[in-house]
Amino acid sequence: MSIDTLSHLELSSPAVVSQAAHDFAAVLAATEPFTALEAASERLRQDAAAQHAMQAYQAKQQSLQAVLMLNALSAGEQAELEHFRETFLAEPSVTAYLQAEAGLRTMCQAAADRLSEHVGLNFASACSSGCC
Amino acid sequence: MEDLILTPDMVTATESLGVALRLAEPVVLYHLARETLEASPEATALLKCLSETQAAVRTRQTRGEVTPEDMARLRALQRKVQSNPVIRQYAQTQQAALGYLREVNREISELLGMDFGALAKKPGCC
Repeated sequence: MSIDTLSHLELSSPAVVSQAAHDFAAVLAATEPFTALEAASERLRQDAAAQHAMQAYQAKQQSLQAVLMLNALSAGEQAELEHFRETFLAEPSVTAYLQAEAGLRTMCQAAADRLSEHVGLNFASACSSGCC
Repeated sequence: MEDLILTPDMVTATESLGVALRLAEPVVLYHLARETLEASPEATALLKCLSETQAAVRTRQTRGEVTPEDMARLRALQRKVQSNPVIRQYAQTQQAALGYLREVNREISELLGMDFGALAKKPGCC
C-alpha cells in the first residue's frame, strides 16, 4: 500500500467507527460474563460482612502505610495484614466477584486480541494506563 | 480457543469493529508509514544500528565500562534516528494511531461503565 493508494481506499468515517464501537459495547454488555460481574458487584455492595472485612483490611493497610512504603514490615505485622487480607478474600461474595471479574477479563482479552490483529497494534496496551 | 470464549454475537461485533478500525484514517496512515519504513534501507539500518548500540552500552554499563565516547556515540545515533524523516513519520503516525485507539476505548468504556482496555490488558504485557 503506497501513499497514492490512500485516496483510493474506502476509509471508515468517524460515524462508522463510532457506530461499530457502540454496537460492540452493546453486545459485550449483554454477554453472560458482563451481567454476571454486574450482579456479583451488586451482591458485594450489599454484603455487610464482606464490606466489614474490606474496611478492616483497608484500615489495617492504612495503619501500616508508613512501614509498607519503606518495605519494612515486621514478620508479625506481615502476618496480621495477611490475616485481614485472607479474611476479606474468603468472603463468598468476594470470591464470587473475583471469579466473575476473571471471566469478563478472559472475554475482553480475547476480543482485544482480535482487534489487535486487525489494527496491527496492541489494543489493550494502547488503551490501558499505568503500564510498567 | 478464542472462538470458545467469544459468543457468535461477540465475534461478529468484534470483527465489525476491527474492520472499521483497520480502515480508519489514523490506522491506515500508520500502516502506510510502517510500510515506508520497512522499505527504507537507510531507516532500517539506522534503527538496527541504534538497537545494537543500545544493547552494547547496556552490557558495558553492567560491567562499569561505559566511556564518555560510548555515550557520545549513542547520543549522536539517537539524534540521527530522530531526524530521519521516514522514522519520524512512522513514530508520529504510530502515536496518532495509539491516541485514536484510546479515544475509541474511551467511547466503549463510557457505554459499558467500566474500562474495557484495562480489563483486556494481560498481566505483564507492556
